[in-house]
Amino acid sequence: MGGQACVFYGAAQFSKDIDLVLLAQEENFSRLRAALEQLKAKRIDVPRFDPALLARGHAVHFRCAAPGVEDLRIDIMTSLRDLPPFSVLWERRTVIAGDSGQEFHLLSVPDLVNAKKTQRMKDWPIIDLLVAIHYRENAGAARPDWIEFWLQEARSPELLAELAQRFPDEARAQSSRRQLLRFAFSGEIEALREALDAEVRVEQAKDRAYWAPLKAEFEAFRRAEREGG
Amino acid sequence: MTFEELPDEWKEWIDLTPIERFRQSEKIFAQYLAMGGSLDPDPDPTSPFYDPDQWRPGAAYGRAGLRVLRRGAV
Repeated sequence: MGGQACVFYGAAQFSKDIDLVLLAQEENFSRLRAALEQLKAKRIDVPRFDPALLARGHAVHFRCAAPGVEDLRIDIMTSLRDLPPFSVLWERRTVIAGDSGQEFHLLSVPDLVNAKKTQRMKDWPIIDLLVAIHYRENAGAARPDWIEFWLQEARSPELLAELAQRFPDEARAQSSRRQLLRFAFSGEIEALREALDAEVRVEQAKDRAYWAPLKAEFEAFRRAEREGG
Repeated sequence: MTFEELPDEWKEWIDLTPIERFRQSEKIFAQYLAMGGSLDPDPDPTSPFYDPDQWRPGAAYGRAGLRVLRRGAV
């Protein structure tokens, strides 16, 4: 998930860390511990590694020290805001085959788009790119679920206007769920831009509300670790 | 944005296959490290992990490591 998935999908060229979403099972945690040991990874922030905390939405942060991966940061999560459980994410994942037999298992583009709807400003241009690239790569053989995805998630007035022109029936049907689509029909670019900004503010507020109790918790963990040395 | 609005360098990047992008990204990552680039996250006050007491050059805390080296139109 995260930046590395964005690289595969074309929406970024480089990520400084690796974010992993894991199935929360003891067997899996044992394999994770073994892998982290191999990478000489040490936890660098609160919270401690605790499946119960991960299940509540916390991330655990590690930094590697093994030769070849010195300083590389790895973040582990098992639960993501407003995303379905791991089993569903896994079912919908994208698998990329490497040139020497390895496989890369990525959050699907729609799931990655939802995961990127955060309070962080830098995530929003990435969503714009993810949808634009997905549209470009699949527009030639558009499936109904993809048309719905593009109409619901496109983040530029120009792309929305193009989608409304190309898929008018679907756009009309979707406009009750995403009201700004009505501006796409009329090509009201400025109104679209303002409505898109308003959408961002709503999602950012939702993300802040989600993180508020978790943030209070990890600030308490930080204080406890500092006091405990 | 639409694909047509992107700068040429981004169009070339997007025209690569996913695995080609990953391999190119590995090269960019290596160049970044060779130039002395840090793997510390960039200070981001909009991140829930931002800790003003901890953020300083070289701070080891936080996440949000995504960096678009050539931002072009984004």
